[in-house]
Formats: sequence, C-alpha cells, structure tokens
Amino acid sequence: MAHHSSTHKWPTADFTRVPYRVFYDADIYRSEADRLFRGPHWNYLCTETEISNPGDYVISYVGETQVVVNRTEDLTIMAFINSCAHRGAQLVRRLRGNTLSHTCAYHQWCYDTKGALLGVPQQRGVKGKGGMPADFDKAKHSLKTLRVETYKGLVFGTFSVATPPLHDYLGPKIREQIDRIFDRPLKLLGYYRQRIPANWKLYLENVKDPYHAGLLHLFHVTFGIYRPTMSGRVFMDETQGHSVLRTADIGEQQADVNTAYAGIDKYRPDYKLQDPSLFDVKPDYPDKVTNMILTIFPNVMLGQVANTFQIRHVRPKGLREFELFWTYFGFADDDNAAVEGKLRQSNFIGPAGYISLEDGEAGRLVQIGVEHREPSDMSVIEMGGRGPIADIDTLSTEVALRGFWKHYAQSMGFAPTGAD
Amino acid sequence: MRVLSSEAAPICAIRVLLDDYTACLDRDELERWPEFFVPDGIYKVLSRENVERGLSAPLIYYYSRGMMRDRVTALRDALTYEFVYTRHLVSGTQIARLSDGAYRVTSTFAIYQSTEEGVTRLFCVGGYEDRVAMTPDGPCFAERTVVVDTFGVLNLIAVPL
Ligand code: FES
Ligand SMILES: [Fe+2]
Repeated sequence: MAHHSSTHKWPTADFTRVPYRVFYDADIYRSEADRLFRGPHWNYLCTETEISNPGDYVISYVGETQVVVNRTEDLTIMAFINSCAHRGAQLVRRLRGNTLSHTCAYHQWCYDTKGALLGVPQQRGVKGKGGMPADFDKAKHSLKTLRVETYKGLVFGTFSVATPPLHDYLGPKIREQIDRIFDRPLKLLGYYRQRIPANWKLYLENVKDPYHAGLLHLFHVTFGIYRPTMSGRVFMDETQGHSVLRTADIGEQQADVNTAYAGIDKYRPDYKLQDPSLFDVKPDYPDKVTNMILTIFPNVMLGQVANTFQIRHVRPKGLREFELFWTYFGFADDDNAAVEGKLRQSNFIGPAGYISLEDGEAGRLVQIGVEHREPSDMSVIEMGGRGPIADIDTLSTEVALRGFWKHYAQSMGFAPTGAD
Repeated sequence: MRVLSSEAAPICAIRVLLDDYTACLDRDELERWPEFFVPDGIYKVLSRENVERGLSAPLIYYYSRGMMRDRVTALRDALTYEFVYTRHLVSGTQIARLSDGAYRVTSTFAIYQSTEEGVTRLFCVGGYEDRVAMTPDGPCFAERTVVVDTFGVLNLIAVPL
C-alpha cells in the first residue's frame, strides 16, 4: 500500500528480522484486512462434512468479516458476507443450521442459498402508496458472494478475482501432505475455541517454529511425540508462505537426545506418568509421523499431533486478540478403539491440552513483551541460518517463519529490501 | 429443599465434599485434588457447544486418579502458564439419590481469576454434573463432568475447574 512504503520497509532482505510493530500497529492491521483477507489469497472457511446436506450452513470468518457458507439445492457450495443487501443487518443469526432460504429479521428481505434476492415485502407498496420504485430490480441486489473452491473436503473462499485456482495456490508439496491426511471421509469429533490475547500472526509464527516445540513443550519431548533429534523436515511451497513441519519417529539415538538436552531442565528422562494409557493408541498411519503441522497462508493450520487431527483457524478479533477455532476430527472408518484413542489424546491439544495450552501462553508473553518496544526494534530469526530461504532436514530451524514473513511482506506491499 | 431425615446426613456430607473441592482449588492445594475422586473416577471438561451438538471431543478427559496426579505434576513442574489466583463461586446445587445408592449432583459455578497485579476477570462459568459415590471414606466423585458455557476459553485452562 502506498502509504506504507515510505514508513514500512522490511529491515532485512532475507527476513531474519521482523519489526515488532507488525504486532501492534493499527494501520498495518487495517491494511491486512484489504491486502490479505480481501486480497488474492484463499481463506479457509469450513469442511464439506459440516455442510453435507442441501440447506446446511455454517458461519465462518474471512479476517473479521462474517461469512455464511452453505450447501445449495444443487449441492454446490456458496458463500456470502453475512450482511443484508437492504440496510446491512446481520442476516443469518445462528452459527449453524439448515434452511433453503435466508430471511433478514429487520424487514424480511429473503434470499436463496446462492444469495439471490427472492422477495421484498411491500415492494409494490400498501393500498397503492409507497413501495419500492417501479424500476427496482431484485437481480441487482444480491448478497455479496465469495468465490469458493474446495480441496479434499476443505472449503476455501476468496473475495479477489486475481486469486489463482486453489489447486495451484496450494502447490504440489502442500497438496501431497493434505492428501496424506484427507485420504478418507472425516468424522467430526468437536470444536475448541480459545481467545488468545495476542496478534493473530504470533500464532502463525508459533506453529511454523519447530525450535520452540522441543523446548517449551515438555510433553512433546519427554514422551517422544516430538524431539529435534527425530527425523524431521521443514519445507515450503513455491511462495514460501505455506509450510510443513514433519517429525517421524525414525533414526533417533539416545546419545543425541542427551547431547541436545544437556543442561536443559525441560527434558527429564526420569519423568514418568502414573497412567500412561493415553499413549497406548494404535497409529493411524504406518509412516511413523508423530507430528505434522501444515500451515496455509494466510491463517489456517492443519495438524497431526500423535493420533489427533485438527484444523486450526486463526480468526483475528482486533489487533491484539484472535480466536483459535479448532475443528477436531477423526475418520468415518475409525473403530471404537480408534475413536476412544482420539478422545484420550484430546488431552494433548486444545485450550486445556498439555501441549497446546502452552502455545496460548507463548502468544500472550510475546504480545506483552513487544508492545512497548522502540518502533525500530525487531525480532531475531536466525536459527537455521541467514541468507536464502530453503527447505531443510532439521527441526533446529526457524526458516519457515522467514518464508511466512517474506510472503507476508510481498502481499502487504512492504518495500522489499533492507533500508539500512 | 425438604429432605427426609434419613437423607440429611449424606446430603450434608455431599455439600461438605463440594465445598472442600472448591477450597482445595482456591487455596492451591492441587495435590489433594485427585483424592476427591474414587480411584477409577472420571474427570471431564466439556464445551457446551459440543455437548449440545452431540460431539464427543472433551477439553480434558481423565479416567483415573493416576491421570489426575499426572496433571498436577505437570502443572507443578512442567507446564508454562500464567500465574493467577482463583475463586470459585458455586450455587444452585441439586442432589438426587439414584437407585444404585450413588447421588446425582448438579451445580452452577463461576470462576474468577486474579492476576499477580490484583486485576480480576471472570474466567469461566458453567455447570458441574456429578455422580457421587458413598465410600467408607465418605462421599467421592465417581464422575465429575464440567460443562463450560465459556467455551471461548480465555486463553487457556491450566488448573482443574
Ligand atoms: S436490513 Fe435486512 S431487510 Fe432491512
Ligand atoms: Fe507449540
């Protein structure tokens, strides 16, 4: 954006620095609404499983904008801004439901599932007086719709005509990882919601950061879901705005673990659970992947932690808060033991989970910490090296954050190279 | 509430159990928390959103005292979360005897958190749905299900509710 480029140059060309003001500057936040959420990007909306029948709808968000996603009579999926074409009232008032027409509470304008205006009460007036002008054309007063595309049951929307097809937007490396998990019908297990007191991008940083995962999260480390000494890989799509962190329980040597954690209190080889039965669950895939975190620019994450599979939608709620909206699922062909295993392992994830609760705290700590730093202050992101941003076979890296910030800066129109 | 005199003693004991549970948490005596349950007792925290939709994913799901002790150990030694004081306000308790001799007990709660700087916020409201067993050691929770209305959780849930 023009008003940026003079004041907001990115401090380094290799994105090893991030100005803290991206987490507290209200102008930047407003600009994100235009350039990211209304820009040429696909925004995650919901899963197809949640709207499988004609008339099924859910309310989701693109940035802070409420969007209704619904299944039409002809089984297509349509999405529109949840605001009436008359005087703007919120149209759909419940988060989920089933209806083949949506009627606004205020003056009863009525729309079909594709957003077309069907009826306007008193269009021809009352007792020959009043009413809409004779040339009022309902066809010109539809709801504001989004482009919608799906991939493997995941529903995305975009306001921009410039957004490339979803298939290409994701790219082959990301699609391959989605294919691995979404290879069979889902079974919805539930939702979690967290209001995290931090800028939404701090969560994207967090889930792109394998460095913290083995240091902040004792459960990961001690019980072998995740250690940097496991076989691990961080890779990105062509834009480097999407990324995958993968850990597999392959080739780990105890000696390496001991070296990596020498002097670190968080690793406690003596730590034992009195009831370890929550680890006693058969793997869902034979590939020994214990942890897979896939993020799609700008604001959704698909994750596997042990036997748990989740979609985490990062919904901004103002500059300093976001809702982390979790959709927790299993698979339609899970037997009772597999379902029970996923319920037990819900103890790892969500707002109360052994691993995930700490990420909410990490966001809070960073927001507090950066809030009153000097305008020119910035974070240091050098784990894994400086210079070119490239995929790497280690978990001792922050390179995926640099990829995210690169794509973010480009999308936001920050001047591309170092000012100093 | 009118109670038959033969019911008065167990009902009194159950009310003491509820009050003691609250005091244990509010005084940060977490090590005592698993002892409010029978050894294979169930402690669950559920989101009202999921309960109303018949979705099974719990926020917390422990089915043994061992798991509860593991939570306490993690809270004490491992997990990173904000230090807060808590106060539970519990009201509207209803107690009904079941045919198997256990009791079904339901209550409403509100939990306030206060920070180290003394700023208080309403953290969570919801309901307890208990199955209380009468044991030789007095009443214990066979199951305590906490259904939270505040399922848009204020950042995170660390200590038990
Ligand atoms: S605002 Fe919706 S009908 Fe008037
Ligand atoms: Fe984390």
